[in-house]
Amino acid sequence: MSDITKSPVESAGIELSGVTKRFLTPSGSVYTAITDVNLLVRPGQFCAVVGPTGCGKSTTLTLAAGLDRASTGVVQVGGREVSGITEGTGFMFQSDALLPWKTVLGNVALGPGFRGINKQQAKASAMEWLRVVGLAGFENHHPHQLSGGMRKRVSLAAALINEPSILLMDEPFGALDVQTKAIMSDELLALWERTRPSVIFVTHDLEEAIALADRVVVMTAAPGTVKAIYDIDLPRPRGAVQEVRFDPRFVELHQQIWAELREEVRAAYARTAAPPAATETVSANSASAIAPARGDV
Amino acid sequence: MTGGEGNRKLAALAAIRSAIEPEVAAENAAKVTDGPETSIESRAHRRRLWMYAARVATLVIVIGGWQLCTKLKIVDPFFYGQPSGIVLKFRDWIDHGTAFGSIWTQIWVTMKEALLGFVFGVTGGVIFGILFGQIPFLADVLGPYIKALNALPRIVLGSIFIVALGLGTASKVVLAAVLVFFVVFFNAFQGVREVDRNLIANVRVLGASRFQIIRHVVLPSALTWIIASLHVAFGFAIIGAIVGEVLGAQQGLGLVIYNAQGNFDANGIFAAMVIIAVIALTAEWLIGRLERRLLRWRPPALTDVPGI
Repeated sequence: MSDITKSPVESAGIELSGVTKRFLTPSGSVYTAITDVNLLVRPGQFCAVVGPTGCGKSTTLTLAAGLDRASTGVVQVGGREVSGITEGTGFMFQSDALLPWKTVLGNVALGPGFRGINKQQAKASAMEWLRVVGLAGFENHHPHQLSGGMRKRVSLAAALINEPSILLMDEPFGALDVQTKAIMSDELLALWERTRPSVIFVTHDLEEAIALADRVVVMTAAPGTVKAIYDIDLPRPRGAVQEVRFDPRFVELHQQIWAELREEVRAAYARTAAPPAATETVSANSASAIAPARGDV
Repeated sequence: MTGGEGNRKLAALAAIRSAIEPEVAAENAAKVTDGPETSIESRAHRRRLWMYAARVATLVIVIGGWQLCTKLKIVDPFFYGQPSGIVLKFRDWIDHGTAFGSIWTQIWVTMKEALLGFVFGVTGGVIFGILFGQIPFLADVLGPYIKALNALPRIVLGSIFIVALGLGTASKVVLAAVLVFFVVFFNAFQGVREVDRNLIANVRVLGASRFQIIRHVVLPSALTWIIASLHVAFGFAIIGAIVGEVLGAQQGLGLVIYNAQGNFDANGIFAAMVIIAVIALTAEWLIGRLERRLLRWRPPALTDVPGI
């Protein structure tokens, strides 16, 4: 018997309430990645999270996936508090998380294999998913033999084959060129609209966020927290993401959200731009033997 | 699954497929296939021919120079041997055997010791390397002791093993295994620590158990490191076997060398060295083949860096 091809997916809502995540840095100090994040993604909703670099977008995803535990606050998926790996999660990473020593087919068949489905069935269903993402004929290739876009499609098939009820995507198309990115976005929407899992899609590309999502969440510079939430009322199906950009409503939303996001991006940039100048002065000092370290920069 | 549901699912998938097919085809077509470049190929071919010619020339110059110098008595063949004498020594060994029985028995004994030591050492090194890499607490607790053991000149352990285990095969196997263990252990340990965190996170989300993570991610990932260490490790296995035999044995190439040393027979020492070199090179070639086989998934390097 198999559950691969069984039943439509029941998407689960995701709810973060008052979530804070602190890390211990290697130097022993405490770093707060996100603080007091409140976020609600309704079942079947496509939620994009935008924010400046290092604002804890990815941390939010790892908490929802159960890869990491919140320091304080509650993370719930499908009404149940997350402990351990969240059941029914699909995760797409920015870098390819494909196993380079497995073939394309082997990579896609991983999920069913881990869930104890027999090899034959896992392979058959992996073949079917490869056909869906347009990679029939590439099943015996290794990841390094594929282009960036093709590898993304393998990742997508590998994530969707488990029929996830929530799909967490961490800048999945961030490393792609603009054209390939547009194609992949269209494909993602086409696939998502069939089974409608709840999605958290992390990106720093605001256009991508608005084109894809039902709801865009703007996060502040680190330590990240939710700054504003916008509901995107563009009708679905939206069609090609390249075209929806010229919709007047799209432009309007883009202006509104960008106004909100800009300050945070500037704040984060100012923070990342400062250290190089600081290290320069330090190295200049260290050249002149034992100079006293400067105070705060 | 019920047939109806399955069919419905397939139809749905087919619909998605047809929706995205054109873009997919376009992108697949964009994948470049490069044709052969004849001029580059012929240049590479010529370079290879020159390389082989220079290799043979090097051998001829070194061996010929040696023979000439000893012939002209610039170098004393009594102390430094002579290529022609080494060849005669081989013939003598093959025709009349060594003082401890046929030369083939000596080779077999040493190879057996080195191989067994290699197998035990590699197995132990991989198991402990992965264990320590997976359990940071263990690594933190035992790390300093392992480092201390590694800092010892472990060759002296050979004396202890011979006292404890006798003059037979066992003491040499254990010595070889200990030497091999540390090389493989440190590489396996490092390999486990270098595993891409994303890969582990990905298979965890896909539902992998701890054992499945090790089998599908940690082990294959560390394999690059482990196999790299095998080249060095086999050298250590031979060192362990030979040194063990020199320290005390009844058979083996090490004993043959020790005996030749006692008889001021430089040619005998060199002849045994040549045999050891042949064994080592054969093993190196086999490990190279194993490496290519196990690491087939790796992207081929553009330039072939000569392995030394």
